[in-house]
Amino acid sequence: MTLRSNVAAFAGRSSYWFLHTFMKGGSSLPGKITTKIDPEILKHLGQNYDVIVITGTNGKTLTTALTVRVLKQKYSNILTNPTGSNMEQGIVTTFLRAPKVKGARPIAVLEVDEANVIKVTRYIKPKAFVFTNIFRDQMDRYGEIYTTYQKIIDGVALAPEATIIANGDAPIFHSKNLPNPILYYGFKNQEEKDIKAKPNTDGVLCPNCQHILHYRYLTYSNLGKYFCPNCGFERPELKFAVTQIADLTPTSSQFEVDGHAMKIEIGGLYNIYNALAAYAVGRFLGVTPEQIDTAFSEDKKVFGRQEVINLDGKQVTLILVKNPVGLNQVLDMIATDKKPFSFVGLLNANYADGIDTSWIWDGNFEKLPQLNIPAYITGGERYKDITFRLKVAGVPDNIHQVVPELKDVVEKIKTLPTEHVYVLATYTAVLQLRKLLADQGYIKEGMGA
Amino acid sequence: MTYELNVAHLYGDLMNTYGDVGNILALNYYAKQMDVKLNVNVVSLDQDFDADQYDLAFFGGGQDFEQVIVSKDIQTKKRALTDFIEDGGPVLAICGGFQLLGHYYVDAKGDKIPGIGALDHYTLSQDNHRFIGDIVIKNEETGETYHGFENHQGRTFLGKDERPLGNVIEGKGNNGEDGTEGAIYKNVFCSYFHGPILTRNGNLAKRLLVAALKRSYPDADLSQQEALPIAATF
Repeated sequence: MTLRSNVAAFAGRSSYWFLHTFMKGGSSLPGKITTKIDPEILKHLGQNYDVIVITGTNGKTLTTALTVRVLKQKYSNILTNPTGSNMEQGIVTTFLRAPKVKGARPIAVLEVDEANVIKVTRYIKPKAFVFTNIFRDQMDRYGEIYTTYQKIIDGVALAPEATIIANGDAPIFHSKNLPNPILYYGFKNQEEKDIKAKPNTDGVLCPNCQHILHYRYLTYSNLGKYFCPNCGFERPELKFAVTQIADLTPTSSQFEVDGHAMKIEIGGLYNIYNALAAYAVGRFLGVTPEQIDTAFSEDKKVFGRQEVINLDGKQVTLILVKNPVGLNQVLDMIATDKKPFSFVGLLNANYADGIDTSWIWDGNFEKLPQLNIPAYITGGERYKDITFRLKVAGVPDNIHQVVPELKDVVEKIKTLPTEHVYVLATYTAVLQLRKLLADQGYIKEGMGA
Repeated sequence: MTYELNVAHLYGDLMNTYGDVGNILALNYYAKQMDVKLNVNVVSLDQDFDADQYDLAFFGGGQDFEQVIVSKDIQTKKRALTDFIEDGGPVLAICGGFQLLGHYYVDAKGDKIPGIGALDHYTLSQDNHRFIGDIVIKNEETGETYHGFENHQGRTFLGKDERPLGNVIEGKGNNGEDGTEGAIYKNVFCSYFHGPILTRNGNLAKRLLVAALKRSYPDADLSQQEALPIAATF
């Protein structure tokens, strides 16, 4: 440990203490101060940890949280970064505020932003990487999926001995020859056919010969048991697999992994992928399937993303949507509700939402009219866009109310004909709606669980 | 329904950025109101484009990687597509589709990617910059105003036989210099607009459908279709 690192770490820890104690915050500033004094501080901070880096465009946060729960079944010292602190400085802060560890070598389970993988591996050689998936974001932050994957791979190249635990159902994760050992996880639960993904699905070119991939089966988007009829490229052998889906509801999923029954208290097929990734890391580090099942069922708070608000007797589920793949998964999920429900769509186009609303046209709203939904509301700053989207999808005008102002939306929700109500909203619309509901005493202020 | 139109969705499985598929959905929405049944087929890699089989074609934008693959394959369809266009076949081409109907485009890496040269424009790149934002244009001949969202690195320059789809009122347009946006050549309409263009500009959807109907049903009385009122959606 160099004098510089010591000074840097001290400055960072002090600033964290100060911010945390007096300012009620401080997630990246201590990291900023520390890396300013010693740019190589991560090398010093991370050297005593076995590090697991979890990256990909969707599902990082829950996969990280579940992985921590799973590993806790066997290991006592586990460090992880809070949601949103997944860039270099947030990670430095995470190490800075870690308590001094005695005894067994600690594990750090880190959610890392795709472009920041290299900023971590420059100084830390992880034991494993987890690749969840790569979908295009409507905000076009890093451009296309291939560019995003290349950024991850550039980081992985600095740690050629780390094991990669990757979603085997995503063709892109089988597209490069890497020196690392790779373990794939995926779904092995369906009858085999010969089908193609829907036309507006991303990433369906064979990485080998650039012909259109076919599938034996699809789970969602471009994920599934793919193969190329032209060159024979195909999904690699899976080391860990979901072997059966038993029951899906909007709030729970029952399934089998490698023949072991599991249950998680959250809906959505994509969350089964997140659980499967956590399972794979657990198995890789010697946690038993029984322990993993316990980890999944023990702590229900970890799934607390979807918030149900009681609005004068209406059970209102508020769900953030931000890109077509996520949106389609949410639509599939609410379709599993066994009770009747109403649908509310709120669209904004501020910077945090993505200033281009085109992405709603890639969402499969055409599914809605098949679900016998008795009432619809559309609103938000871009209510015209979402209203026309639903019209084109075939939602009848006589059960579709257009309510631009969110304060009026709140009142209208109270008059809907069903007890269950799903509100799908973009980021700033969620914030605005929460603020309104907090002002009226329905919820506490803040972003929610 | 009385009428039927076959629509070729060119490379619909590869050229599908920013909700461009919404143009197909919008075409279908207005077609129904015009008593027209649309049959949409994706025409992609290793498939022929049969100019006689189709009444209308849509060509969306793609990611860089996919566009390079498409630029190679589309050369095999160059003759058929050019014949279709020269014969007055209606086409809507957006972003990358717009670029590939022209002579060539220069991509973000500086590579010159060939188009099919069916239209007389070419597209250059700009360094580390994209034109991103809301855009409004006006077509001086028809008086129609179009709304959209542009997001492109390419800077396109029109040839002498092309007219712009509109003149820029707000935003950047084809190249940020000459005030033009998009291109019109015979019954081909090109644009950089996402949004998607036809969901915000029903007039243009109607224009394409009417052009296709007139060509495929030359003896029909289409006065009702031409009179269809288009409600504002944006």
